Amino acid sequence: MSFGAPYLTLPEFTYHKPKSLKEALQLLNEFRDEAKVMAGGVGLIAFMKERLLAPNHVIDIKDIPELKIIEYRKGEGLKIGATVTMSEIEKHDIVREKYVALHQAVKAGSDPIIKNRATLVGNICEAIPWVDGPVPLIAYNAELEIMSVDNVRRMPVSEFIKGPVEISLEPNEIVTSVYLPDLPPEAKSLFMKFNTGSEFALATLAAYVNDSKKPRDARLVYGAVSTKPVRAYEAEKIILTNKNISEAVILAAEKASKEIDVISDVLATEDYRRHLVKLLTINVLSRIFEVG
Amino acid sequence: MGRWITLTVNGSKRRVEVKDNEILLDVLRDKLKVKSVKAACWRGECGLCSILLNGKLVKSCLVLAVEVDGSEILTVEGLARDGELAPIQRSFIEHGALQCGFCTPAFVLASHKLLEENPSASEDEIKESLSGIVCRCGTYYEIIEAIKDASKHYQVRKKV
Ligand SMILES: Cc1cc2nc3c(=O)[nH]c(=O)nc-3n(C[C@H](O)[C@H](O)[C@H](O)COP(=O)(O)OP(=O)(O)OC[C@H]3O[C@@H](n4cnc5c(N)ncnc54)[C@H](O)[C@@H]3O)c2cc1C
Ligand code: FES
Ligand code: FES
Repeated sequence: MSFGAPYLTLPEFTYHKPKSLKEALQLLNEFRDEAKVMAGGVGLIAFMKERLLAPNHVIDIKDIPELKIIEYRKGEGLKIGATVTMSEIEKHDIVREKYVALHQAVKAGSDPIIKNRATLVGNICEAIPWVDGPVPLIAYNAELEIMSVDNVRRMPVSEFIKGPVEISLEPNEIVTSVYLPDLPPEAKSLFMKFNTGSEFALATLAAYVNDSKKPRDARLVYGAVSTKPVRAYEAEKIILTNKNISEAVILAAEKASKEIDVISDVLATEDYRRHLVKLLTINVLSRIFEVG
Repeated sequence: MGRWITLTVNGSKRRVEVKDNEILLDVLRDKLKVKSVKAACWRGECGLCSILLNGKLVKSCLVLAVEVDGSEILTVEGLARDGELAPIQRSFIEHGALQCGFCTPAFVLASHKLLEENPSASEDEIKESLSGIVCRCGTYYEIIEAIKDASKHYQVRKKV
């Protein structure tokens, strides 16, 4: 190839573009470890260029009609198919109005041109610790639908992501959709990302409460601080039990910054990340509860 | 050994033989000689390889050639009509919205698409929509002025 340097080209593989889910699952069942699913390809092609992946077969799922669906049903929630792009999610009215943390996370990610190809499901399957997508999904208790030739199963996003680039997926399985439960009308959720100019977030937070006046259910999920998204369970309890909400916000922020697993790496030290966790928590919760 | 794919590039039908692992960017530049599409980072960061694929802006360094069989591709070469530059192209010239010019095709194409969809785009909307393209010479100010200025032509076009 003309550009010379080896990492600009792709390793050799056979390309498949199945027209139905059944056909895709059969191909995957046949090739297993030898194959990789491709949705937007944004991550896969970059990984192949760097030779982090070199599958013999690439199975492109873009032509499968049922995976292109994004649909909200009252009482059931929002279903986002595996090939729905970030742009389609960002423009979706229900996402903007109801699933605010997801909208903000998608808005804050990559750029509008990348988002015309990148999918949310691909973002989850990459399971890179700093990616944005899984963080709000875990805050909403979202689940994935996963299929193989002979099985359909559901799994919470929080359990699906096991560690850096490690997911709970068999070689013959495809993630077909992500399901977000319907939210009560009083529910509030927000997402905030701290980064210093690059796409690599140093810390993110997605917060969800069922009702900001009478919180009975709260989830605080932190991304980019550890090897996978982490929840601050003790801090959540503080929000639910402390009657003085301004005080609860500060106490929850302090608790969260101490209780969760946090790593040091080339981007930031553990101490710095704990500080960011505190700031993000105060910022996001003050907005949700309209205090301070 | 490869497959034959058919593309409509800037209005003309092109048939080309590609291997399964060939990147669309390379096929456009090397095989179809569409040289306005630039290669710089090859990994989705700079936006200089952006094209309109079936009406959507995408970065062609992260697209396989085989997957776009049957598609329509528009690049900056396809913007002029009957030898007349598109208003956005004229505006870039009038505002001197370039220095080395390497990023210009991508910015022109992306802003053309933006103004066709949203001729009254605000400055913030312009900045947001172009945030995936890098100008290493830093001519952002002139680029944004050029787009704001060209927008009136697109508003007229949308009315008629
Ligand atoms: C310039 C740039 C900036 C970026 N900025 C951000 C950012 O700010 N925040 C952020 O979160 N991300 C960012 N990303 C990452 C990007 O969002 C992800 O790479 C993208 O969402 C992946 O989706 P995809 O559809 O392209 O996945 P693909 O590349 O198609 O797939 C990615 C991986 O997931 C697997 N996979 C995909 N779909 C399925 C499925 N349905 N079932 C089973 N396995 C599957 C593939 O086999 C592959 O291993 C950025 C990427 C680029 C290039
Ligand atoms: S060459 Fe494609 S984005 Fe840089
Ligand atoms: S004019 Fe030189 S890169 Fe933009």
